[in-house]
Amino acid sequence: MKNRLKIERAILDITQEELAKRIGVSRQTINSIEKNRYIPSTVLALKLSIVFNKNVNEFFDLEENEKPTS
Amino acid sequence: MESFLNHERKSLDKLKKFQLPNQAKKIGWVIFCIAFIALFFTTKDTNLKLIAKYSILIGLLIISISKEEIEDELIKNLRMHSFTFAFIFAVFIAITNPLCSYLANFVFTEQQEPFGGIGDWMILWLLLSVQVFYFGYLKKMHQ
Repeated sequence: MKNRLKIERAILDITQEELAKRIGVSRQTINSIEKNRYIPSTVLALKLSIVFNKNVNEFFDLEENEKPTS
Repeated sequence: MESFLNHERKSLDKLKKFQLPNQAKKIGWVIFCIAFIALFFTTKDTNLKLIAKYSILIGLLIISISKEEIEDELIKNLRMHSFTFAFIFAVFIAITNPLCSYLANFVFTEQQEPFGGIGDWMILWLLLSVQVFYFGYLKKMHQ
């Protein structure tokens, strides 16, 4: 799964620490998500969606091989 | 019946979420360190040695079930991975160790000694120490 978390964070001009505080996780969690080392839960994704004021699939997307076949 | 099931579910949820506060981790490390040092200095007194050995396990257990400063979902995930790894590792060692020592005895001393288990303390020590140190390693990897 790929994400645009770093870009969205840059748009809001906030640090990893600030974003972490807003959604109630550690800075390491934000860092791990940004580096694709950890896939967050739906609850965390929805919290991020509220902070960024965007739909979840605008900053989280599946890789081509992960997408379901239609 | 419904309320009984609900009560059971609530009790199970409480049990699943049970953890000691973050401050308990320091207490766990203190118990572990004192017991570890005591184990090296007690050579004759077998009772004291036994107390030291089991205090090591108590210390590790307290460390193992204490919360982190920020107990978020990543930490819960890493903790789950460390428990899985420790469980598999300890079972693997418990199964292979008697066979390895039997073969080593047979090859190097040419004596056929009976198979022996590794003992309950050693299994618990492996489980807890591997969990604590692998959890620390995983946390470092995610910094």
